[in-house]
Amino acid sequence: VTPSEGVRRGSGRILAMLESLLALGGLVLLRDSVEWEGRSLLKALVKKSALCGEQVHVLGCEVSEEEFREGFDSSINSRLVYHDLFRDPLSWSKPGKVLPGGPLEALKALDKRTGSGPVTIALDSLSWLLHHLPCPTLCQTLHALSHQDSCPGDTPPGEQVRVLGLLHEELHGLGPLGALSSLAQTEVTLSGTMGQASAHILYQRPRQRPTHQTQWFSILPDFSLKLQAEPLLESQPRSDPHTPSVDPTTHLTFNLHLSKKEREAKDNLTLPFQFSSEKQQALLRPGLGQATSHIFYEPDAYDDLDQEDPDDDLDV
Amino acid sequence: MAAAGTCGTGTRSTGSVVAAASTNNVTSFHRRGPRASGADSGCSRLVSIAGTRPSVRNGQLLVSTGLPALDQLLGGGLAVGTVLLIEEDKYNIYSPLLFKYFLAEGIVSGHALLVASAKEDPADILQKLPAPLIDDSYKKECDEDVCSHKTESDVKMKIAWRYQLLPKMEAGPVSSSRFGHYYDISKRIPQQLIETSKWHGFFLPEKISSTFNVEPCSLTSGYMKLLQFIQNIIYEEGFDGSNPQKKQKNILRIGIQNLGSPLWGDDICCTENCDTSHSLTKFLYILRGLLRTSLSACIITMPTHLIQNKAVIARVTNLSDTVVGLESFIGSEKETNPLYKDYHGLIHIRQIPRLNNLIYDISDVKDLAFKLKKKLFTIEYTLRSYGIRGQKYLLSGHLRKFAVKKKPYLRRLQTLKNIY
Repeated sequence: VTPSEGVRRGSGRILAMLESLLALGGLVLLRDSVEWEGRSLLKALVKKSALCGEQVHVLGCEVSEEEFREGFDSSINSRLVYHDLFRDPLSWSKPGKVLPGGPLEALKALDKRTGSGPVTIALDSLSWLLHHLPCPTLCQTLHALSHQDSCPGDTPPGEQVRVLGLLHEELHGLGPLGALSSLAQTEVTLSGTMGQASAHILYQRPRQRPTHQTQWFSILPDFSLKLQAEPLLESQPRSDPHTPSVDPTTHLTFNLHLSKKEREAKDNLTLPFQFSSEKQQALLRPGLGQATSHIFYEPDAYDDLDQEDPDDDLDV
Repeated sequence: MAAAGTCGTGTRSTGSVVAAASTNNVTSFHRRGPRASGADSGCSRLVSIAGTRPSVRNGQLLVSTGLPALDQLLGGGLAVGTVLLIEEDKYNIYSPLLFKYFLAEGIVSGHALLVASAKEDPADILQKLPAPLIDDSYKKECDEDVCSHKTESDVKMKIAWRYQLLPKMEAGPVSSSRFGHYYDISKRIPQQLIETSKWHGFFLPEKISSTFNVEPCSLTSGYMKLLQFIQNIIYEEGFDGSNPQKKQKNILRIGIQNLGSPLWGDDICCTENCDTSHSLTKFLYILRGLLRTSLSACIITMPTHLIQNKAVIARVTNLSDTVVGLESFIGSEKETNPLYKDYHGLIHIRQIPRLNNLIYDISDVKDLAFKLKKKLFTIEYTLRSYGIRGQKYLLSGHLRKFAVKKKPYLRRLQTLKNIY
């Protein structure tokens, strides 16, 4: 794939990646690590959904509000409803603008707000919440949050609730990671090579097989997404299909191939338990009136059919 | 562990010996039997429960799991009073199908249902059940497949020709449609069938109180509430014989989805050494006690791939009666393996109970795979993909059943005779 082809293909999908991440609804898990941070992708998704006219709620735990709002222009900032847990997580200061009750109450307050229309909730970050809440409680709350629509069946895409959760996967063991992955409808794992970030996206649509794709991207300073072509890996050459594969059976001292005559001879050989087809049928489907089982014996070439019982010779 | 109890057979006589002693009889010793009970018809009631049949091997009362192929693998069906544990596949795509088959079979047979879930509303689960197939349309589906496989199978079964009959796992629709039905996954069950059925739902987010306190008792509150709910239903509806039912006796089918996942409040999937590590095992123990004393059968799906402590998985397996594991090929290297190209995953029968028996009823062939077609979920042996070499290997393990080596033994003795 030449770079220009990749970019051309990519440009047709510049919006598609963010849209597809947001389209499925439910819980979108962004797993990042120290090398490939995910907050910029989270902010890109927040910006995208704000531009689409949705309500966006942000629960900020790790960075301050000013830092989170940095880089957004005023129209987006006016759409963001920020719930701040960073400044005073244990609510030591007197009640004012601070959310009482800690993170659990904050989450449940998000759950209870009566909003109409599509809503996006961004949790920055789930790792902080996992350290302050027991994992099953967090899972139950997330599940309640992302399944707010009480009407059964398929909801129209405009009425969905989206929960974007940022998770630093190096901070947790396999247990919480597995538990949250099983809850998520979309899971994005950030990685990359040679300075180029990539997202491995796993879509788990209900009742369908999960699909995954890998996208190379970069985030611009104004938090819009730009798709990149896959960088050519020069350091690790992949298996080149042009070199002919070496046939290991060419230079052996014994013969592994069968010629046509030999193959025919092999096929014509009667194997010891390969009976004639009538006998096979008779064995497979016992006829009527055969109450006991029979022993079918076909003598081979070296047998002598001597009927006398050799036990007669014994002096017992 | 020896299976205790007779799985709620219901033949306990209602009268005691003394009470049954009528004035005509000289002694007060009476044979306890169906004659001693009053107006009830006695043990003939067992067979007359719709959707059940006694096992041909040990007389245990069986219900169908909804998938006749699975019934065959489990030795005829699921015994009443036992637990069927399904170990979920990694992305939880195929285990809900088995769950739905079980519930749909209950509706079609007229059993009562109890559906418990922490993820989905039970009413929604019931809406998505598959529709039962009429016999003709299933035969058509079956014939299409048989034609496509016939040409291959004739060539390959040159050595292992005795296995020709083996891949025919589903023996076709049962002529009397009382045990084991076939379902069409692409269609939903008709609404009137759901409405005429009796079902109880347990949806955890509704039942649990708003305070998320982690209680110090040994059972997680979600499990405790579920057990109380099941116990209430069994008692009120008379499945344990306590309130004599005026109507015909019926079976209660219990379905519990995603047991052990964090949504039930259990952190067995989150940490390796958790405080409530015995919560799940205690739940299973109490549940089995409830089931053994009532006419009920239970299916549980559990995400065992998420459980961190492997010892817990072993305990859970021991506490369940029948354990079936599903392993899907999605995302694993087996997806590209040519041996498995026709299938979507493997199905492992991990445990089968020995109820009033000394031996197991399972077949010897262990290579079972499943395939999700557009309308059906089928289980097959992976034998068809074996080449000649594979057939020889398979046969060598089974040769003792087929060969009778009479003559060579005699010939050896003959040689001895000639020498002496």
